[in-house]
Amino acid sequence: MGWEFSLLATILVPIIGAFTLPLIGLASKPGRNAWAVILGLATTFFAVTLLPAAFSGETHVFQRAIGLGVDATFVVDGLSVFMAIASSLISTLIIIYSLGYIKDYHYQQEYFLMVVLFLGAMMGLVFSANMILMYVFWEITGICSWRLIGFFRDREVVIKADKAFLVTAGGAVFMLLGFALVYAKTGTFNMLDMRGFPIGGLAVALITMGIFAKSATLPFHTWLPDAGVAPTPVTALLHAAVLVKIGVYAFARIFNYTFVIPGDWQTYLMILGLISAMVSASAALIETNIKRILALSTVSQIGYIFMGLAAFNTIGVAGALLFILMHGLAKGGLFLAAGVIEHGTGTKDITKMGGLIKAMPITAVAFIMCVFSIVGVPPFGGFFSKFMVIQGIIKSNHIAIGALAIFTAVLTLVYLMRLFTLVFLGEARDHSIHAHKEGTPTMVWVVASLAVLSLAAGILVKYPMDLVNIAVRDVLGNPAIHDILGVLR
Amino acid sequence: MNPNILLIPILVPIIAGVLTFILPKSVKWGKEILALIATAITMYYAAVIFKAGGEGLRLFVPWTSFGINFDLWAYHFPRFILLAAAGFEILLALYTASFMEGKNRSKEYFAYFLLTAGLANGAILANNFVVMLFFWESLLATLYGMISVGNKEAFKTATKALVISGIADFAMILGIIFAWQLSGTLTMSEIHLEPMGLGAAAFVLMGLGAMAKAGAMPFHTWIPDAAIDAPLPFMAYLPAALEKLLGIYMLGRISLEMFTIHMNSTMSIFLMTIGAVTIVLAVMMALVQKDYKKLLSFHAISQVGYMILGIGTGVPAGIVGGLFHMLNHAMYKCTLFLTGGAVEKQAGTTELKKLGGLFKLMPITGVAFWVAAFAISGVPPFNGFVSKELVFHGAVETGIMIFPIAAWIGAIFTFASFLKLGHATYFGQQSPEMPNKAPKDPGLAMTVPMLVIALGCILFGVYSKLPLKYLIQPVLEGRAILEGHAGHMEFWTFHLNWIVWVSMACLVIAFLLHKYGVKKGQGQAYLASEPIHNLPVMHTLYDWAEARVFDIYEWFVNGLLKGAAWTVFKVVDRGIDAVYERLIVFVGGVATGVLKEYHNGLYANYLAWVVGGFALLVLYLAVLVK
Repeated sequence: MGWEFSLLATILVPIIGAFTLPLIGLASKPGRNAWAVILGLATTFFAVTLLPAAFSGETHVFQRAIGLGVDATFVVDGLSVFMAIASSLISTLIIIYSLGYIKDYHYQQEYFLMVVLFLGAMMGLVFSANMILMYVFWEITGICSWRLIGFFRDREVVIKADKAFLVTAGGAVFMLLGFALVYAKTGTFNMLDMRGFPIGGLAVALITMGIFAKSATLPFHTWLPDAGVAPTPVTALLHAAVLVKIGVYAFARIFNYTFVIPGDWQTYLMILGLISAMVSASAALIETNIKRILALSTVSQIGYIFMGLAAFNTIGVAGALLFILMHGLAKGGLFLAAGVIEHGTGTKDITKMGGLIKAMPITAVAFIMCVFSIVGVPPFGGFFSKFMVIQGIIKSNHIAIGALAIFTAVLTLVYLMRLFTLVFLGEARDHSIHAHKEGTPTMVWVVASLAVLSLAAGILVKYPMDLVNIAVRDVLGNPAIHDILGVLR
Repeated sequence: MNPNILLIPILVPIIAGVLTFILPKSVKWGKEILALIATAITMYYAAVIFKAGGEGLRLFVPWTSFGINFDLWAYHFPRFILLAAAGFEILLALYTASFMEGKNRSKEYFAYFLLTAGLANGAILANNFVVMLFFWESLLATLYGMISVGNKEAFKTATKALVISGIADFAMILGIIFAWQLSGTLTMSEIHLEPMGLGAAAFVLMGLGAMAKAGAMPFHTWIPDAAIDAPLPFMAYLPAALEKLLGIYMLGRISLEMFTIHMNSTMSIFLMTIGAVTIVLAVMMALVQKDYKKLLSFHAISQVGYMILGIGTGVPAGIVGGLFHMLNHAMYKCTLFLTGGAVEKQAGTTELKKLGGLFKLMPITGVAFWVAAFAISGVPPFNGFVSKELVFHGAVETGIMIFPIAAWIGAIFTFASFLKLGHATYFGQQSPEMPNKAPKDPGLAMTVPMLVIALGCILFGVYSKLPLKYLIQPVLEGRAILEGHAGHMEFWTFHLNWIVWVSMACLVIAFLLHKYGVKKGQGQAYLASEPIHNLPVMHTLYDWAEARVFDIYEWFVNGLLKGAAWTVFKVVDRGIDAVYERLIVFVGGVATGVLKEYHNGLYANYLAWVVGGFALLVLYLAVLVK
């Protein structure tokens, strides 16, 4: 199987497959569910078959004219393959989980269509080497998430969905302006042709607005906690695994991989990441809605990823990429556990819960494992990524930012332990809330496997790290960036 | 010798711990047998590794990139700590088997116990910072688990312990990253830095992490809570023994190997200040406690002060004393907690008011208690006497007399509080309130560990030269710190000089204080500390301490952090959201209202809009595409 076939299959299988789902669903619901899982598994499988190409050390480029003077340019390198595997793996687990969660609700046809289409658009996005193509996939994911957040159709829910869509699409408009600005200077949208090209502060600012809006980073973050009105698999998909990582990926692809950005902007971006991390961690300490807390926690952790990338050195970027995987696994587990809890208790208010560990022992243990990974407690995977991100920050000589990043880690520990304690330990505070049993076996199984994967990714950190190293080599393979690094060191 | 055997003390307990988790409940004695076998194997290999001598075994396997290698090195310092830890673990496994019998969640406790043993051994042997942190921080999870096994409220204490230890660990991580930034390596044995500038920050942060692990102030406040909430063997295992070994060992590596702390340098004063403050404040708290376990827990904090003070002096006598005190403390404090467990199990309570007269009923426990009590109080010829004298000598040598004075004050109140504890528990009349009327010595599984360690307290006191020569001395050998100390290792020789007389005087003062207090309390030994408790200013301070005014967790985490977070949430987070929810909605409403006016359905009107928009687009492109 050649890499070109794998590449096209990774992108097209979910995109085309998504539209077949409602048709199959008309005939048989279990058949559709199985087909959705197969599509997810197939996408993951094809993404994994791209590994040899990624490890080969060369950058593979797929380029075909698709009319109107636009080329479909896809790039297979360490960065894109890493992102594709990380997001398709987590998405597939979420699809499996949602079989149990979604089974009693309306609009399942649309749900499965949107989830799988989302996955396909994500695959297209990570392989795109053309800015316009990237923008198109970017907006497809936006449309999917808009439908998914508004899944329950109540007026309030639809307003929140609109808010999410307007903020992210609004940011994307600014990003498009930034792309136009770059195009005005270079005359191309092909990122491979622009590597090492220095861009000005205005273009960086415009593109950053799009990235931050998509990644729910301060000051564009508030749509993400509000998106908690969505069904839990969607929140997990949006928050943890894929949607918010789109911005992170775009950051790596555009700022780290393609362009050279002004030195002071590197510091600004890092500071913005830090502020986002600290503010949202503070908010998470105060909120009482479990899904809002987890969403704010995501905003906070994304701040770390941006800080690592904005360090513009190998260890920081490697830590940030590793962070994407570790955070995706652990936060996915937390959101899905929150789904089990919401399902069992019928509430999201943690001040009413308590003592759930007796009714839901497996969920509780999986939850605390994921908490430890997010906080950065070994042997869970989150330890390595957080450690390396802070190493990267310090290496780029931002001592104070590094110290505040550590402080934010303390905040993370405090608010997540508060969450765990209020939900699972002690006695139930509101006796009208009773949970007598775990979620469905499928749901609990997925939650537990995400927790176990978080543990395995820590103990066997060598394997994800090997892949990350390939990605970092490709990302920082830009000679102009090496010059900058020389100065920084 | 194959260096792979270094993996055995790490992996065997961890595997046994995992097996314990999955062991079916129906297997009788399964967890106990697993624990004993695992700790015995660990003990055996710790001895083999110790005997290997020389440069020591080193295992080096590349783990992943960025200088993160799986690097273990059993040179003299870690192999001595490894041996000590293994010794405690096997005895505690035996004791715990008996103590936890029939208790809820005892299987879980054993699993955490074994995991802790393996992880701690990993942290001891590690020679790469990431490997060290990997094991060291993993202990957070098992610490949380072990405390949570206790009573109904234990989860609160477990969270508190986790947060406080987590803060300290994060401080240590930052310090380690600073050290890495300065030295460019993560290999611990290759780091040699000066404590200046960023190096000073690195030293302080790493030192705080290590001292917090040992339980120094202000990171101590979870320990007295755990004394009440956590299962007792936990107290004997972690706060009394293992955490002291780990914390002081790491402090030793930081301040002797990675940095060199010179006498009376800023860093030396920093360490000695923490040490002195910890000694005095914690012993004052210990003095007024009226519960067996809680009293011991404050001493577990206070005694760390001596170790830090000793290491902080930067003179050989002090450092040797500090390290020896670490070992001695682990022994006598472990014994003391074990006697506490025996009393709890047999008499049914640890409240001093309800105890009394137990010496006749529980003679073995009583003997073990008094040996350990004399050792901790620095009564010759027990081990604590030797190490405390060395610390006094070191502190006096620095010439800053406030430090030895603080140490002596600590000595007075240590002895006074143990006279109170021993008197109230073992002598006098048996209290009618004792829940169990006929307590007797517990079974062999509990008495043997107590007696073995108590015997060690005597041997290490009488034959102090042996542990000093074979365990402590190698740590200092060849270090620059010894320069100017002619004859090198002569300082353990017993000098009957004025320092010893002052120490003896302290013991006498303590005895008189106790006698006075008992008299004031109308013969009730547990009230012996009341005269001091009721001193004018002291009384207020004690009330505040009871109200947790000085608890870092209360004011920092629950007060400052939550307050600041609330403000940020309300102002920044909600403020930004208001922009979206209110401002943009409002502006949008006004704008659409205005635009509505122009939607009058006239064709010409729309055409004008299109042309105008096109003109703007052209203008934009013309300006930008130049």
